[in-house]
Amino acid sequence: MLRVESVSVRRGRTMTLEDVSLSLEPGRTLAVVGESGAGKSTLIAAVLGFLRPWRGEISWAGAPVRDCAPSLVMQEPRAAFNPTLTLRRSVMEPVAARRPPPLDRMERLCRGLELTHDLLDRRPLEVSIGQAQRLGLLRALIAAPPLVLFDEPLSALDAFTQKRTARLIADLQAEEGFAALIVTHDLGYACAYADDIAVLRSGRIEELTRPKDFIASPRTAYGRKLRDAAVALGAFERAA
Amino acid sequence: MTRGILGLVLRACVVLTGVALATFALLWNAPGDPALAIALARYDTVVPADVIDRVRVEAGLDGGFWAAFKGWVGPLMAGDLGRSSVTGRAVWPELAAAGSYTVPLAVAGLGIGLAISVPLAVIATRAPGGWTDRFAVALASLGAAVPAYWLGLLLILLFAVHLGWLPAMGARTRAHVILPALTLGLGVAASLTRIIRSGILEARGQQFLPALRRRGVSDRAIGRDHVVPHAAIPVVTVFGLELAFLLEGTVMVEVIFGRPGLGSFLVAAIAARDFPKVQAVVLLTALVFVVVNLLVDVVYRLIDPRIGERDA
Amino acid sequence: MTLSVSGLGAVRSGRTILHPTSLEIASGDRIGLVGASGSGKSTLGHALIDDLRAQGRGVAHVPQSPDEALDPLRSLEFHWNEAELALKAPPDADRRKRLLSALKIAGGDLGKRPWGWSRGMQQRFVIAMALIGSPELIVLDEPTSALDPVIAADTMDLLESHLNGTGTATLLITHDLGLAARRVSRLMVMDEGRVVEAASTQDLLECPRTGAAKSLCAHRSWLAVPC
Repeated sequence: MLRVESVSVRRGRTMTLEDVSLSLEPGRTLAVVGESGAGKSTLIAAVLGFLRPWRGEISWAGAPVRDCAPSLVMQEPRAAFNPTLTLRRSVMEPVAARRPPPLDRMERLCRGLELTHDLLDRRPLEVSIGQAQRLGLLRALIAAPPLVLFDEPLSALDAFTQKRTARLIADLQAEEGFAALIVTHDLGYACAYADDIAVLRSGRIEELTRPKDFIASPRTAYGRKLRDAAVALGAFERAA
Repeated sequence: MTRGILGLVLRACVVLTGVALATFALLWNAPGDPALAIALARYDTVVPADVIDRVRVEAGLDGGFWAAFKGWVGPLMAGDLGRSSVTGRAVWPELAAAGSYTVPLAVAGLGIGLAISVPLAVIATRAPGGWTDRFAVALASLGAAVPAYWLGLLLILLFAVHLGWLPAMGARTRAHVILPALTLGLGVAASLTRIIRSGILEARGQQFLPALRRRGVSDRAIGRDHVVPHAAIPVVTVFGLELAFLLEGTVMVEVIFGRPGLGSFLVAAIAARDFPKVQAVVLLTALVFVVVNLLVDVVYRLIDPRIGERDA
Repeated sequence: MTLSVSGLGAVRSGRTILHPTSLEIASGDRIGLVGASGSGKSTLGHALIDDLRAQGRGVAHVPQSPDEALDPLRSLEFHWNEAELALKAPPDADRRKRLLSALKIAGGDLGKRPWGWSRGMQQRFVIAMALIGSPELIVLDEPTSALDPVIAADTMDLLESHLNGTGTATLLITHDLGLAARRVSRLMVMDEGRVVEAASTQDLLECPRTGAAKSLCAHRSWLAVPC
């Protein structure tokens, strides 16, 4: 499992993350919710090992996270691919060194992600943004990593595609059993699909709780503000 | 903002020091005995060894590289460019005289370049991809490919020899500037036209322009307040570079048209190993480069303060 | 005063991206234009604005992101003055203070360039500029997608309370039916360049008739919560 223990990250004189602790078990989803500048991307960079924490430790099963080869799904799907390579090559990149190449697995994932074969022969700019994001998921899952990080995976998609893609991610997680750390500013998405929610603000975790509890009664004033804003923007609907 | 400018000035000083050292070192290590070359230039005849040694001492070349360099830098800090090793006369008046032929030429060349490139670029961008646009770009490419000496000679043949309208050689009258300036200007126009054109096209593609139009802002105001400033940025860069390059590019043109400017001044000084003169010209050129770059950087900062910031 | 347009269409590279459409907008209307990406909503919005401006009506357009509305080389004060000039409105410091206060950005430094303000504040500034001429219609194109949710919700509330009582109508263009449903009284659903369904918000949510409307309704929120 993923353990983030009292991690602080410094940038110059400011702390972009301060005393952040969280944990994530295989097969479960943790959503980190926050606004711009809260430190969400810093958290991802720290977990992936791109940044060294100033204090604290991050580990997966007791070892550095890098060792389990986690993958990342990014916000801007078309920008996350090399525009000169076909999508097939880009998607197979994480397993390029394996002999034989796991084609069966790719087939299965394609079906699960509702991707057709002709899409793989195109270039990133020749597919729609929804398709590009699903191809990003394909690339993230092809090597069967135990941990997958998501940086605003739905923000570039329209409302309908968002719901559909979120469903696909959840279905795949049930099948593959990976742990998912999702960073997003969309409280609706977080509450609908996460097992736990962490509210990140100015580098600190303000609340760490279950979605149901959070919606019903957020413990902090900031949490209440987030919840009310999400309601005002139509993320939630009153149940009958 | 002032910190940024101070940083630029400091950087400029470092560059100047480096240039001074490098040129001195190059000349010092040039083949042959500098003292011999000076003596030859001074007396115009082969002289005995003891005369050469005397020349060596007079020119301050007997104490080794650093002594010679210090001997030159010292007075320089006080504003004294020293005296020619050959003639013994002060360097500055002769340098200034040579400059008085080169600077007007450079400025005229730049002026002609602008006078051609700006209208040409504006006309070209009126209908991008159309015939005038392609014609303008082709003309610019041609101009860039044509060497200055070929163009110069061609102009001489046409305007001086065939038509007899303009004088060819020398720098006697004001009119003597025209053909050399035209030669330079056409070369400058070639690169400027393409830069201005692409600057305008890119500026026109900025994503907020449709919103401005929908807000009711007139096309004239959009062009003047939003397209021109943005297009100016790449143009300012090239302009600065051209200005600096012109001062040396004129060497070639001066040779063709027989003008007594900095070009011939420098060539003669190098041949005679006249250290003070050579250093003076090189330092002057370096100073011009540095000042022009500094001005360009300052103008950038004024147009768009984000340029030069860490996370622009 | 009712605003009406007819026969708005658009063709790009030989393809019809917007089929001829006519609409009427009454004073004070709150209308939502909803559809998936590529359904033609923004195109209709642009065509609507251009047509109404050609008719001489007062309309304002707020683009999706402040990058699409502000020149990074010019100060915010410059933009404001330019907008006043474009509307042929005499410079009015009180009006400026009033509009900026209405959107809670009166304390900001107008001498700065756009990137000196946060995105949320920039977007509010663009909205304030749109209000200068007291337009009859404001078209908001995906007003919340470029903003953080708390700021987005606040901005929408501030705009609504400012417009309350004035005759200004708003057209909210968005891919998010959930968002639109909370803020408009009439909904129009677009699909493939056509307005396929138009009804009051309540009617559309209760019984959507077309396929496009049905799928938008079914997926308009993430969660049903008891509160």
